[in-house]
Parts: sequence; structure tokens; C-alpha cells
Amino acid sequence: MVDNFLAGSAALFGDPFTIGVFIFGVIGGMLFGAIPGVSMLTLAAILLPFTASLEPAQGVMLFAVIYCTGTYGGAITAILFNIPGAPENAPTAFDGYPMTRKGQSGKAVGAAVLCSAIGGVSSALIMMVATEPLANWAISNIGPPEIFALVFFGLAVASSVGGRTMWKGWMSVLLGLLIATIGQDPVGGINRYNFGISDLAAGIAFVPAIMGFFAVSEIFVQAEKKAVGMYKAPKLSLDFPTILELWSHKIAVLRSILVGFFCGILPGIGATLAAFMGYGEAVRWSKNKDSFGKGNIEGVISSETANNAATGAAMIPLLALGLPGGAMTALMVGVFQMHDLEPGPMVFYNSPELIWIVFAAMFYANVSILFIGLLETKTILHLLKIPFQFLAPMILLLASIGSYIGRGLVLDVMIMFCTGIMGFLLRRSGYSIPGIVLGIILGKIGEQNFAQGMQMVHYDVLEYLSRPICLLLIIAGFLTLFTGIYKALSYTFKS
Amino acid sequence: MSKLKTNHKVETLIWLTIVAVFFVFSFEFNQEIEIYKFGATGWPRVIVGLLLLVTLGNFLHLYKKGSEAQFGRVGISDDEEEISYDGIGSIQKLIAILALPLIFAWSLKPVGFYSATPVFIALTIMLLGEKRIKWVLGITLFIYLVLILLFMVILNAPLPQGNISPFYDFSAFMLTLNTKLHQSLNY
Repeated sequence: MVDNFLAGSAALFGDPFTIGVFIFGVIGGMLFGAIPGVSMLTLAAILLPFTASLEPAQGVMLFAVIYCTGTYGGAITAILFNIPGAPENAPTAFDGYPMTRKGQSGKAVGAAVLCSAIGGVSSALIMMVATEPLANWAISNIGPPEIFALVFFGLAVASSVGGRTMWKGWMSVLLGLLIATIGQDPVGGINRYNFGISDLAAGIAFVPAIMGFFAVSEIFVQAEKKAVGMYKAPKLSLDFPTILELWSHKIAVLRSILVGFFCGILPGIGATLAAFMGYGEAVRWSKNKDSFGKGNIEGVISSETANNAATGAAMIPLLALGLPGGAMTALMVGVFQMHDLEPGPMVFYNSPELIWIVFAAMFYANVSILFIGLLETKTILHLLKIPFQFLAPMILLLASIGSYIGRGLVLDVMIMFCTGIMGFLLRRSGYSIPGIVLGIILGKIGEQNFAQGMQMVHYDVLEYLSRPICLLLIIAGFLTLFTGIYKALSYTFKS
Repeated sequence: MSKLKTNHKVETLIWLTIVAVFFVFSFEFNQEIEIYKFGATGWPRVIVGLLLLVTLGNFLHLYKKGSEAQFGRVGISDDEEEISYDGIGSIQKLIAILALPLIFAWSLKPVGFYSATPVFIALTIMLLGEKRIKWVLGITLFIYLVLILLFMVILNAPLPQGNISPFYDFSAFMLTLNTKLHQSLNY
């Protein structure tokens, strides 16, 4: 393994053009992740056609690097502006933004930098050591029933955070699931809920929906405060957390690495669920549960460690099985296909040099988060000084471009602003925006895997539950669900 | 005693309408799928049913506790201020702020990105309270140039060009400028 890693490193740093592509990926991912309104997906969608002129290894490596650094970059906007750069950064905003409001933005961003790097490097190392055995384990133990069970558990966790009440948490998640049913059904390809609009047959693209719910709704929330004269500019601080402070959260970091890696390895799940589960577990095991959501640094730590730990793991199903774990890895499949390659077990035998350049690049990209991230952070934090009336149109336009570029449809820009208005109204009434977004992302995956799972077991629920991992996750999901209902009802009827 | 307010009733009514609309429209695609017992409607109808249940649960909470947040909820900030409008002016301003992006999005098809953007930037800045005209014009120009430089010149991203003259002609002029710039850099 060490020899392969060194060979990959030599190939990466031996060619000046490859180094240039690597640096472009590192900086591009961080910038597009950290600029409010656009995301790493915007950059990836723009760059996809250009990868045809790159070597296959350079193309895949570029996307893998953008994935690592972009996942970190999205935390910056989540913390500073309450606008998660990507859905996987949504739980980071729960505590990161309250920290900014308290004048602790430097601490929150510093924790995000360090924990993203730790999560990403650990994940890259495990990926290098264990891609093949883990892929084999996943093939024999993880099927549609397990993936559906994990989606169910993840949605149950998501419903327990974010909304003003348990009911509103579930209503948010179910609204997201309902939005995800728009478009073709994943089994028979039958059009659903297109309301006579032909462009809706392909469903609601999740980038415009995410931009709308996160970025546009936040702009409207702040604009409303500005309109009534209640706007307060967030406070700038550059006091990073001390090593001792972060060391006291080592258990949360370790737990989030495990949670993130497990979620990342499952096809279709990716970093978003990892971040929610990492956050949820941090709350579950904390002695000080009430402090979450009010600026507890452990919330930032657990979410950022978990989502970056999922990046390396998400490459395992992609490279070993040819199954993308999320939107970014799905775009990577596009890069493979542009070069007449198919990701899957044969890549390890046909193009081992490609695999090891990608592995090495991901390792170094995560290390570079620590160094470039700290430098970048000091610059990005100054964005807080820009008056809101100048920042807002920039964010709205970047989000419009980001939404339009994916499919080239003006309808997507319209959807983004409509979801923005919806998000604004729902937030005012105490609904959970991250819950809605997670519902949108996991809706199709959940339905598809439920259908496949049911077909696998011939609709026999007992056979479905005889699979141990599936049973464990379903029980965990129902426990979370029933605990939530019990708490909600006992609170409602308490005088 | 009931703590229900009019806005709670409206909120519940909206959710019930969503439930009803999605349930009724599910009959439009109520087709069997040969390989799948639950068909195309199974999954959406389960979601609609669950949404109905939690809407009723939410109504119960609103009835007993009003808008009060449930104790021990995670991920909600406790320092959200109650927004109070001081007059019709601020409500009009908010409506304008919400409507302007929709008008911008609608105008992208006929007018195009290149012509609609500067107007959108200037109006947004003014709506958000900037009154100094020099600043409005200066920042509008700055943001426009940054976007053009990044997305048109550097990334060559395809942006809506519009289909009505003279807006379409202006977009064509911008793209010709970009092509000439690239040619002069390449040769």
C-alpha cells in the first residue's frame, strides 16, 4: 500500500500540469464552497465538459479534490451567514451561526477547519487501506433493505433536530419527501405531479431547491429584518479555538469519523446523512443536550468531522462498485464515461495508477485544508464586514447562476426563488429547512431502495427484518421516532 | 384553554390543502406497475397520509401551546426576535423584496441575463436601504463586472441570452466581445 501511495504521490507531483490541476481543485473547491450562493456542485457542473481535454486520472482527481475541499468550504458560509454551502454543511449551521452571533465566528471556523481536515485525512487513510475488503463486505452485507433502513433512521434523526416541535420536524421532512416524488417514479418511470409542466417530468433538481431553501431564504430573513430596522450585522472575530479546547472533544471526533465513514460507504447515502447522524449522535451522547443549537462548538465539530469522513468513504462504492454515493460522485461517473472508462472493480486492475493518484490527491487535499483553510479563513471572515445591501444581490445572483447552469433551465431559477420564499415563510413558523432538504435528497433513494428491497424479499416483512443490519437500523429509527412522539405528546399535555 | 390564533388556523389549512392536492392529483398517475405491487402511487400516498397525521399532531400542539417551542428541541436558536412591523411601508418593502427576484427570474427568458442583471442588482441594493446613488451605481457595476469576468470570460458558462430585441442583440454583443477576447489571448 505504501509503495502504491508513494507511486501515486510521485505521479501527482511529478508533472507540473497535474500539480496545477490539483492546486486549482483545492482552491476552486474551497472558494466555491465558501462563497455564499454557489457550491462545489456549481463548479463541478461548469468544469465537467472541460475534463474531456484532461487525462482521465487528472479529471477524476480534480473532482475528488473539489469534493474534499468543497465539503469543508461549505462550512464557512454555514457558520458566517447561516447559508450552508452544501446540504452536508446544514447541521454545522445549527451551532456555527449562533456562535457567529455571539462573536465566536473564529472559534467555529477554526474548529471546522481542523475537524474537516481530521475527518478527511482519517477517511482517506481508511479508504487507502481498506477499499477492497470494505467493498467486498458492502457487497455481501449491504443491499436495498439496509439502505432503506438507514434512510429511515436518518430521516428520524433529522426530524428530531431543527423544527420548533417534533411535529414541525416531521412535517418538514415529509414535505421534502413529497417534493421528491415530483417527476418520474423510480420503478416504473411513470410521471408524477408534473402539473402539466413538461420540464417537471425530470423532477425538481435538488441544487435549485437547496439554494432556495438555504441561501435565498436566509437573504429574505435578513432583508425582512433590514426592512423593519432590526438588522444587526454579525460580529467578526479571529480568535481560533485552542488545541486544548478541541482535545476535550476527541470522543465526539472519533464517533463522527465512524458515523461519517459508515454513512459514506453506503451507495446513495453520502455526506449529508453522515453530517446529520454525526450531529444527532453528538446530541444523544452529550450531558448538556440543551446547549446544542445555541452555539455549542461540539455541534460544529461533530457535523464537520462526519461529513468530511464521508468523502473518502464515498469513493469506495464509486471506485469499487461503480455506484455513486451522492451528487459529486455522480458527476465523477460522468468524468469516467467521458474517457470511455467505467468505474467498478475492473478499474483497480485496468488503471491502478488512476486509483492511486486519486487516493494520494484526496489525502493531500485534506491535509491542505488545514493550512490553506486557516489562511483562507482569515480572509473569508472579512466578508462579514461587507454591508448586507451589497452582499445580498451578489448572493442572489450567484445562486441564480448556480441553479441555471445545472440543466440550463430558467424554470430552475424560478424554482429556486419560489423555494426561497417558501423557506422564508416556513422558517418564520419554526419549520426545519435542513429537514426539508434531507427529505428531498433522500426521498428518491429511499423509495427506490424500499421498492427493490420489497421485491427482493417478495413482500415478506419478516424476511425483510431477518437481515441483522436492517433490523438494527429499523429498531434505532423506531426508537428515535417513538421517543420523539412521547416527548412531544407529554409536552403538549403538560400544564 | 385554547391558544389558537388566526395564523395557526391558516397554517393548518395550508397544510391540509397540500395534503388534499397531492392526494387528489395522485389519481392522475394511479397506474399499476407489473413488477411492483405498490404501484406509482404507493409511496406518495403513504407520505400524504403521514403528513395528514403530523399536521393533526401539530394542530393539537398549536391548540394547547400556541407557537411555543417544545422544550429540549435541538437545533433551534433561542434568540430569534419577534419581527414587528411599524407600518404599511415596511410590509410593502418586504413584498417588493420577495417579488423582485421572481420578476428577475421570469425576465431571464425574454430579456436575458446580461440585460436583466444590472437592473436587478441596482433595485435590490436600493430596496435594501442604500440611498446614495453613486454607491448604488458603483456597486452595481462592480458586481456585474465580477460576474461577467468569472462566469462569461473565465468559465465560459452558458447564461440565458433572452429572445427579444434589443436584449438579445446586447447578449450577442457581449458574447462576441468574449469570443474576440479569447481569440486575442490565444493568438
